[in-house]
Amino acid sequence: MLESEYQEHNRFFLNMGPQHPSTHGVLLIVLEMEGEYVLDPQPVLGFIHRMHEKMGESRPCQSFMPNTARMDYVCALPYNHGYVSLIERKAEIEVPKRAEYIRVITSELNRIASHLLWLGAYLLDLGAFTPILYGFDDREHILDILESITGSRLTYCYYRFGGVYQDIDDTFIAATRAFVKRLRKRYSIYEKLVTKNIIFIKRTENIGIVSPDMALRYGMTGPNLRGSGIAYDVRKNEPYSVYPEFDFEIPVGEQGDCLDRYMVRVKEIEQSLRIIEQALDQLPDGPIRAKVPKNIKLTPGDCNFAVEAARGELSYYLVGDGTSTPYRLKVRVPSYSNLSCLPELGRGILLPDLVSILGSFDLVIPEIDR
Amino acid sequence: MAKKPKDYKEDFLHQGFDANRTDYNRRGYHLEVALNVNQVRKFAQTAYDLGFYIVFIAGLHVRPDEEQDKRNSGLEVVYQFSRYDQLYRIKGCVSVPNTHKIPSISDIYQGADWHERETRDFYGVVFDGHPNMKPLLLAEEDPDFHPLLKEEEKLKSLDEVSWPSEIPEAAKKEAEPETGR
Amino acid sequence: MDTISILPPELIRMVIAAIIIISFLFLNAIMMGYAERKIAGHVQRRPGPMEVGSHGILQMVVDGVKLVGKELLIPFNVDRTLFRVAPLLSFTPVILPLLVIPFSEKLQARDLNLGLLFIVTMGSVNVMALLVGGWGSNNKYSMFGAMRAVAQAIAYEIPILLSLLAVVLMCNTFSLKEIVGAQQNIWFVFLQPVAFIIYVVAGLAETNRAPFDLPEAESELTAGFHTEYSGMGFSLFFIGEYTNMFIVASVATVLFLGGWHGPHLPYGEYLGVVWFLLKVYFLLFLMIMVRWTYPRVRFDQLLNFAWKYLVPFSLVNLLITAVVVKL
Repeated sequence: MLESEYQEHNRFFLNMGPQHPSTHGVLLIVLEMEGEYVLDPQPVLGFIHRMHEKMGESRPCQSFMPNTARMDYVCALPYNHGYVSLIERKAEIEVPKRAEYIRVITSELNRIASHLLWLGAYLLDLGAFTPILYGFDDREHILDILESITGSRLTYCYYRFGGVYQDIDDTFIAATRAFVKRLRKRYSIYEKLVTKNIIFIKRTENIGIVSPDMALRYGMTGPNLRGSGIAYDVRKNEPYSVYPEFDFEIPVGEQGDCLDRYMVRVKEIEQSLRIIEQALDQLPDGPIRAKVPKNIKLTPGDCNFAVEAARGELSYYLVGDGTSTPYRLKVRVPSYSNLSCLPELGRGILLPDLVSILGSFDLVIPEIDR
Repeated sequence: MAKKPKDYKEDFLHQGFDANRTDYNRRGYHLEVALNVNQVRKFAQTAYDLGFYIVFIAGLHVRPDEEQDKRNSGLEVVYQFSRYDQLYRIKGCVSVPNTHKIPSISDIYQGADWHERETRDFYGVVFDGHPNMKPLLLAEEDPDFHPLLKEEEKLKSLDEVSWPSEIPEAAKKEAEPETGR
Repeated sequence: MDTISILPPELIRMVIAAIIIISFLFLNAIMMGYAERKIAGHVQRRPGPMEVGSHGILQMVVDGVKLVGKELLIPFNVDRTLFRVAPLLSFTPVILPLLVIPFSEKLQARDLNLGLLFIVTMGSVNVMALLVGGWGSNNKYSMFGAMRAVAQAIAYEIPILLSLLAVVLMCNTFSLKEIVGAQQNIWFVFLQPVAFIIYVVAGLAETNRAPFDLPEAESELTAGFHTEYSGMGFSLFFIGEYTNMFIVASVATVLFLGGWHGPHLPYGEYLGVVWFLLKVYFLLFLMIMVRWTYPRVRFDQLLNFAWKYLVPFSLVNLLITAVVVKL
C-alpha cells in the first residue's frame, strides 16, 4: 500500500486497495495521480479468483449449484436461477408453475436485499453513516423470511433442477406481505434522508456520465445501462420463467450520471415489490419439483441462458458432451463489463468522484473474479 | 417497442459470413456464425455497425482435427453479441490456428479488452493488436499457466461437443441441419 | 509558610485554574465521546453502548484504559521527532483558550483584553499539528489528509474572523468578559443571526467535523492524517478535536448566546456556569447530530463554499454592522 514513484514533479501512483473501505471487495485500483486528480485508473483483478469455471468442468452439473451462490453472494438467487434454467433448457425439463412462481418471488426478494445493501454501502462511501443501518434493518426482515424456507441467509442453494427444494407455507406468505407493506412505508425515510439531501445530490449529479455508445462498446447492462436511458432488462426483453405474466415497468434515467443510476435502483425496489405482490396473488397450487433423473446427461452441443441479476445481465454458456459433467461452463457476470469501462470513464476526475462512481456501479468483486 | 423484430441473418450473409439460424428455445441464441481467423475483425465491425453489444468472449479446448492438425491448435474462441432493443443473440465461433494468435477486436469493442485478457489467461490464446496483454485474473508472475486447457485423455473432438445434424422429421422445429463449427 | 507567602497569589490562582481546566478537558472528552456514540446510535436506530455500566456510562472509561495500554507503534520510516510531536502539538494548544473563556461571572482563569484574538490564534496552531502528523507519518494517505486539512483551515479562518469581528464592532472590545457583559439585555444572536450561522458552520469546518471531515475521510483515505497513530497518540488527537469543538461552541455561546446569562440562580456569580454549559452542550448536540445525518462534501465543493459563499456573506454582514453601529 505504500509504494511511491515520482515521475513528473507532481505525479505519483496511489494504490487504492486491495484493502480499502470503498472498493467493495478485494479490488486494487492503481491510480496515477496529479494532486487530487486521477489521470489513469487501472483496476487490477484476481485477488479473489477461485476458478469457478474449472470447477464447473470437473464435477457433475448438480454439484455446481453451491458455486453459483458463491460468485455473487449478495444476490445469489438469480445466479441459482440462471444455472438451473440453463440445465433445464439443455435437458428439456419442464418446471411446474408453482415452482416458477416461488422462484420469482424469492429472486425478487433477493434483488431488493441487494439494492438495500448497495444503498447503504454507497452512502457509507460518501460519508453518511446512517442510511446503511436503516437499509440493513429492512434487509434483516428479508433475510429472516428467506432463511425460513431456504435455510441460509446469504449464499442460497435453494433451486433444484426442475423446481425448488422446499415449499413455501402460509407464514412465509404472510411475512412477505407484511414486509411489502412495511417497506412501502419506509420510502419516505429514505427520501428525506438521502434523495433530497443537498450534499448527496451535489456528490452525484453530473458525475460519471456514461453515454449509450460507451455502454454498448463495453457491454454494460443492468441499472448502470438503464441510468443512461436504454430500457434493456432481460426480464422484459428476453423473458424467462413466469415474468411475462406480471405487470411491471423498467425505470430508466436520462443522463447516465451517478444520480440517475441511484434513482433507477431505488425505483427498481418498488417494481420488485409489485412483482412480489402479483406473484403472491396469483400463486397456483401444485407440485414444486418435476421428476428429473438423478444423473442428468447433458446432450452434446452448446446452450446459453441469460437472467437479470441485480447488477445486470448474467449469462451462463454451457457446452455439453454427453456426460453429466459440462465440457465447458462459462459464466458471464454483469459487473465484469460494468467495471471494464473505468479506465475510460475515470480519466481526469477527482478522487472523491472516483469513489462516487465506483459506488454507483454496484460492484461485487467476487463475481468479477469468479 | 412496437418495432417489428428483425432477422439479422441476411445482414451477415450479405457480408460474406457463414451464418445459420438456430433454434432459440434449445440453444439460447438465434444466429450462429462460423468464422475464419481473418474474418474476426470484420465480424466485430459488422456487429458494431448493426448496434449489437458484446456479451462475452470465451475459449474452448477440443481435440484438434486429425487432418488439419498442422493448422489447428484445438482451441476455439466463442464470441457472443446481443441487442438492447430486440431479442437477438448471435454467436461467432473461430478456430485458433497453430500460432495461437488471432486478431483482437478491442479497438472496436473496448469491452473485449478484459474478455480477451481472460481468454489468454485461461487458454493461452494471444490476441494481436491488444494494447495490454497482461494477465488479468491470474498471477502476473506466472503468465504461462493456462488452467482451462484440458489434459489429453479428457479432450473431445469438436463433433462430440456440438449439436448433431437433425433428422428431417424434427425440421419443423425450425432447426436447420448443422454441424456446429 | 514562608515560601508560600512569597509566591504571588495570581500564580497560585493560575496553577489551580490550569489543573481544573485540564481535568475538565478530560472529563469533557469522556462525556462528549459517550454522547457522540449514544446519539449516533439513536440516530441510526440502535441503542449505542449498553454493556459497560448501566446504559454504557463507563464505556469511555474502559476505552480510555484500553487506549493507554496500547503499544505505541512507531512505523519504520517515519520522521521520529515529528511523528511523536504531532499529538502533543494537537493537544497542548487547546488548553490555553480555555483559560480565557468566562464560564461565569467570577469563574474565569484570566481575562485578557485581547481574549478573542488569542482564542482564534490558538485555533490556527491546531492545523500545524495535523500537518506535522500527516507529513511525519511517511504515508501517502496521511499526507493527503494533511494537505486537505491545511487548505480547509486556511479557507475557513476568514469567515470565522469576519463573523466574530461583527460582534466586536458592536461591543468595541476583544475581552470576552465585557462581550458577555454587553449581552445583558439582548443576546447577540438576535442582532447578528447571519454571523451566528456563518460562525457555527465555519467552526464545524475548522474542527474537521462532518460534513467537513475530509482530512480524516475514512472511505477515501483510510483515516487520513492519523492513519499511522495508535493508542495514546490517537487519543490525544481526539481529545484535541473534542476540546476544539468545545471551544468553538463556547465562543459561539459567549459571543452570541449570552454566555452565562440566564434566569436568576442563587450564588449567580458562580452558578452562572450552569447556564453556560447548558448552552454549550446544546450546540455540541447539534454538531453531533449533523455529523450523523449528512454525507461528506467533496473537497472542491468545500473550498468553493468557503470562498464563494461564506466569505462574501460575512463581509457584507460586517459592512452592514459597521454602517449601523456608526449611525
